[in-house]
Amino acid sequence: MAISANVEYRLNYVIDAVVQPSMTAVIELLLWLALFQGAAGGTIGGFTLPYYLSYALWGAFFARIASSWMYEFRMIEEIESGSVNGLLVRPFSFYEYYFSQLMGYKFITTFVSFLIPLGATLLLDWPAQMDRLPLATLLVFYYLILVHSISFLVSCCAFFWNRIHSFTVAKNLAFWILTGELVPLDLMPEPYRGWVINLPFASGVYVPVAYLTGRAEVSMVWNGFLSVTVGLIAVNAAGALLWKKGLRSYVGTGA
Amino acid sequence: MIRKYLGLYAAFFRASLIADLEYRVNFITRIVTDIFWYVAQIVTFEVLYRHTDVIGHWTLPQTRVFLGILFVIDAIYMVLFHDNLERFSDRVRKGELDLLLAKPVNSQFMVSLQRASTAILGNFALGLGWLIFSLSRLPDFSWERLLWLLILIPCGVTILYCCRFFFTSVAVIFTRAENLQFLWYQLYKFGMRPDSIYAPWLKFFLLTMLPVAMIASVPARALLDPPEPWLFLWAAVLAVFLLWVSHRFWNWCLKQYSSASS
Repeated sequence: MAISANVEYRLNYVIDAVVQPSMTAVIELLLWLALFQGAAGGTIGGFTLPYYLSYALWGAFFARIASSWMYEFRMIEEIESGSVNGLLVRPFSFYEYYFSQLMGYKFITTFVSFLIPLGATLLLDWPAQMDRLPLATLLVFYYLILVHSISFLVSCCAFFWNRIHSFTVAKNLAFWILTGELVPLDLMPEPYRGWVINLPFASGVYVPVAYLTGRAEVSMVWNGFLSVTVGLIAVNAAGALLWKKGLRSYVGTGA
Repeated sequence: MIRKYLGLYAAFFRASLIADLEYRVNFITRIVTDIFWYVAQIVTFEVLYRHTDVIGHWTLPQTRVFLGILFVIDAIYMVLFHDNLERFSDRVRKGELDLLLAKPVNSQFMVSLQRASTAILGNFALGLGWLIFSLSRLPDFSWERLLWLLILIPCGVTILYCCRFFFTSVAVIFTRAENLQFLWYQLYKFGMRPDSIYAPWLKFFLLTMLPVAMIASVPARALLDPPEPWLFLWAAVLAVFLLWVSHRFWNWCLKQYSSASS
């Protein structure tokens, strides 16, 4: 249902799955090209320009998959407007309903949008080890469960406060830095470098892309799975608590 | 006429301030949200400059000035226009546009300026603070150069508004065009980087056809590089021209509009 609902508006879908990440990638590629013109020695952080171009290209597409704006806004809206009532009486939970929607959407987006970096990498011969792509993608989808759990936690705040959309924006902007979408996290100075790489958010972009492009080894991916698992336990525990508390204080206002 | 519109805007601003202060947590979170955006931009360049001395042809202190200009212009735009243009697509879908069109004032004025984001004034202060800090770190900066900003910042805000307005107006024709709005943010990203990083053909394109480089790069150049009077004149001409075109485009869109309300 989620897949067909999203493919229904084809222009929107193409912009979201193809145009947006492609443009982000182009801007990042231009930045790295300019950066290397001023860099002495032809390497930055031990890697040459093609490694960064490959990172920028794949990073833009992984970042697109690893973020949730639209569904989080909808979840908040459901609770704020009271239309969550309609979901409460159904034989599945609010969490599960939106989880299936998000995963369906991300599945179809990934399938189409990955064709672009895949084609570009093969055409331009940039560093990317394709045999690593399945594990990298698996990590991002595992990370998506955490993303959804955080969305659930944020939306539960709507039981207690009005107009919490700013939380979503602030959170996603923070993830912008923490996932490694802006710059590879290994370029950060110590001790921040160690901290951010070990946080679960690095599994959204940095870890899978670094693994795919040869900046990191498989041990970092396993570490990513572990840190996301820890994050999942913590966030879901907080989410379940907040949901229960929220429902207790909730007075249905909608249909 | 101008007095009428200024009075009307003052009333809008007062009403927006009262409405914003009603939700105090939201007031604060909006400021905090933008701080995250500022931090993201600053961190990106601070990290990159740890590995190189120049990007484009600007050093770190110069890029900090560019970011300061970007923050100030973006904050002014956010206060004046952002909320209005952001919710426009929704208003068309819900049929609220009809009510605006029935009012005895210019419809573009109503659509663009009815709601001010007063919380963002806090971010304007932060952006200005960052700009002053970054200018104070420039060796041999001649402060009289700031006079250029009296022209170039209003031009930058106008160009930013007009570009965004073109994307917004399309919602009158295609009712579901959310992702077209997101497309705007991708294009705007070109303006969030110094134009010196782009190849000459792309820089030309971003200064003329899709003039997002005029928003912050040109005012920053007025402070950092030798003055380019022709470029500054172009900024002023372009701002006026785009404002005129945006008005024509808006009227054309309205001709295609079929009411969404019952």
